[in-house]
Amino acid sequence: MFLYEKKLQFPVKIATPNPKLAAFIISQYGGPDGEVGAAMRYLSQRYAMPFAEAKGVLTDIGTEELGHMEMIAAIVHQLTRNLKAEEIAGSPFAAYFVDHTTGIYPTAASGFPWSAGSIQSTGDVIADLTEDLAAEQKARLTYDNILRFSDDPDVNNAIRFLREREIVHFQRFGECLRLCKEKMDSKNIYLTNPAFDKTTAMPKAKG
Amino acid sequence: MNNETGNSCPLPSCPDHYGTMPSCAGLAVPYVPFQQNAPKKYAQEEALSNGTLFPGLNLPFHLKTEGSTLPATPLSELQALEFVVLELGMYLDTHPEDTEAFTLFKQYAAMEKAAKAAYESKFGPLTKSAAASGETYGWLKEPWPWNYEQNEVK
Repeated sequence: MFLYEKKLQFPVKIATPNPKLAAFIISQYGGPDGEVGAAMRYLSQRYAMPFAEAKGVLTDIGTEELGHMEMIAAIVHQLTRNLKAEEIAGSPFAAYFVDHTTGIYPTAASGFPWSAGSIQSTGDVIADLTEDLAAEQKARLTYDNILRFSDDPDVNNAIRFLREREIVHFQRFGECLRLCKEKMDSKNIYLTNPAFDKTTAMPKAKG
Repeated sequence: MNNETGNSCPLPSCPDHYGTMPSCAGLAVPYVPFQQNAPKKYAQEEALSNGTLFPGLNLPFHLKTEGSTLPATPLSELQALEFVVLELGMYLDTHPEDTEAFTLFKQYAAMEKAAKAAYESKFGPLTKSAAASGETYGWLKEPWPWNYEQNEVK
């Protein structure tokens, strides 16, 4: 189960509201490579994992992503506080505002609502962990692009933190993949799917 | 040395920001260099500020905005301790044999526990069960984590 802690993982303290930045940063909440998707992807994939290291890494990183969801939501919330309608009109945040006012809604910056179509859970160790490596890279570059648009040091502190977490997660998923590979057939890693074929006598690769 | 796990690089000059790779490896599967055991570590405030405990994994983007530093508050001090516990815990998932890291993990977990209790006694409960030890029900006390005010200096 999950227990809530009434604090953020990292301080989010944004002195100056900025609806334009909020309109971009919401993408890391509900965009195709955002934190909602990351948490759903990892916390869903872990059930099929046959190896303890993969269960542990997916649980720990998936749980951290829930905390990142909250950080991104806090950033958008603080960037849009105390605004007047005329400050929003004409900004890139206006279209979002019409639908959601200043509520937090999981959507991409380009307006597409969060979709499970942007994640996978294949029930296959190598396929899932390889997807996770790619997912961390896609989130990392989204943070790079947010940094290109933001000159607010309060925002960038938190964005830089989140971006660096993607790099650390990439490293752990990569190590996890190698630990899983070690437990699979050394001649042909694709001989079976240990998440599904475990109930039958494991075939061995010839040669 | 096991090709698939951390340990250390046989080359004496292998830098901290490099990891180990198998000298000969099966085809058609990705390989990320394995972080070596006993990597260099930042102090907790620097770890939180950088987003990693490990200098070898700190790979920032070229665009930097100067001028804002992390607030030194009781909350950020607790966040820094908790971050080291989280980062070491994740490292141990793939390096369970690194005894130095496990010793540090135990030390930081104890420090975090004490710091959390001290924070809660002063500023109110962080968990629902801690709300039971107050004289009145303090869970609804403002501010909430996403509010600007919780992150102000106090």
